[in-house]
Amino acid sequence: MSPTLPNPDLVAALPRLRRYARVLTGDVNRADDLVQDTLARAWEKRSLWQAGSDLRAWLFTIMHNVHVNQYAIRKRRQAESSLDGDEETPGGWQIAVRATQSDRVELAEVLVQIGRLPVEQREVLILAAVEELRYEEIARVQGVPIGTVMSRLNRAREKLRRMSADVQAPLKVVK
Amino acid sequence: MSVPVSDDDLNAYVDGQLPPERAARVAAVVEGDPAFAARAAAIRAHNAQLRNALDPWLSEPLPRELIGAATSSKSHRRGLGRRLLPVLATAASLCIGVAIGWLVRGEVLQQAGTPVTFQRQAALTHALYATDANRPVEIWANEEERLVRWLSKRLSFQLHAPSLNDVGFALVGGRLVAGNEKPGALFMYENADKQRISLFVRKDGEHSRETGFRYALEDGVGVFYWIDDNCGYALSGNLDRTQLLSIAHLVYGRLAALESSPSKQ
Repeated sequence: MSPTLPNPDLVAALPRLRRYARVLTGDVNRADDLVQDTLARAWEKRSLWQAGSDLRAWLFTIMHNVHVNQYAIRKRRQAESSLDGDEETPGGWQIAVRATQSDRVELAEVLVQIGRLPVEQREVLILAAVEELRYEEIARVQGVPIGTVMSRLNRAREKLRRMSADVQAPLKVVK
Repeated sequence: MSVPVSDDDLNAYVDGQLPPERAARVAAVVEGDPAFAARAAAIRAHNAQLRNALDPWLSEPLPRELIGAATSSKSHRRGLGRRLLPVLATAASLCIGVAIGWLVRGEVLQQAGTPVTFQRQAALTHALYATDANRPVEIWANEEERLVRWLSKRLSFQLHAPSLNDVGFALVGGRLVAGNEKPGALFMYENADKQRISLFVRKDGEHSRETGFRYALEDGVGVFYWIDDNCGYALSGNLDRTQLLSIAHLVYGRLAALESSPSKQ
């Protein structure tokens, strides 16, 4: 018998998978497609999952890889179809507008700001700050050395700090 | 005495990634230096903002297709339906529909409301009982042995109420509180100025993630918390952060000593 994934755990992991997919794709609909593809891949590769290990981190790793592949394909297609293929993020970040169900401006601002980060930095930031994964686990998810994770995190936070400073700067000039 | 602290150390410290001894050393440098402390506070505030922005997504109802894809390796793979006989397909989708309907129902019920994090529960529990003048605890410290025995029995593992007398906090008593899946325990302490701090302990059945020390400010209550061997510990109070941190370290060390002592029951 091939090992099976624990269904209740997979369902329990869904909200977090969905959230991670939104962070990766920046688009609510594409995020759900990515979750679906990730789950299909997880079932295919279920013999590789070690029972008792952290299912969430394993699923994040699969999702990261599925996304990297799809992103590469989309980017190639885009380059082929447009002569000046200089758009940086295929599809772009569309989360902020939809996700501001709360009327709190600073939360909307946070979403806009993380949307401006390169995807690999955004990923590290969310996995560390929101999912609270260990840096080693994040390194495994992204398939990079831990030093890369830490420098990505540092750059992400540095950029965000500058963005916040830019937001506040014009006020000082007016005064 | 003081150790050099890099940007990576600062990040790792705020993210609770450092082992306790290293965290303590970095904490001493960071919290003692206004520039460092401000940077740490900014990162912490941003982490909290991120969670506030992204946590509501977790309680959104899940689309049926995703629950289907999570519960079965086959029925929801694209294109499979085409190979089935139409009659069988209808029967199958009916069954699946019923099953999914059931699952969706469960999931929606489970997901209603914003999830309460461990540190938030600790802070809210502290705020609720620490302000109670008459009945902050169910069993008072004069019956400490009975208290610890009772809570250990209810939580199904051996608890300890570490002594904090040497830092001026005496045990007031403790109580049982509702947890996520299983109940939690609260030990309350008080100093001569009637300031109260509480140690909240909760063990969930599943894979809780181990963490180093983390700090959170929840509704004005400071919380230092850590998760060790599926068991979450949180020290909450309205003390200043360095004071709370030093007591948290003490608690951590004493619990570790009690755990490994041969007199362990």
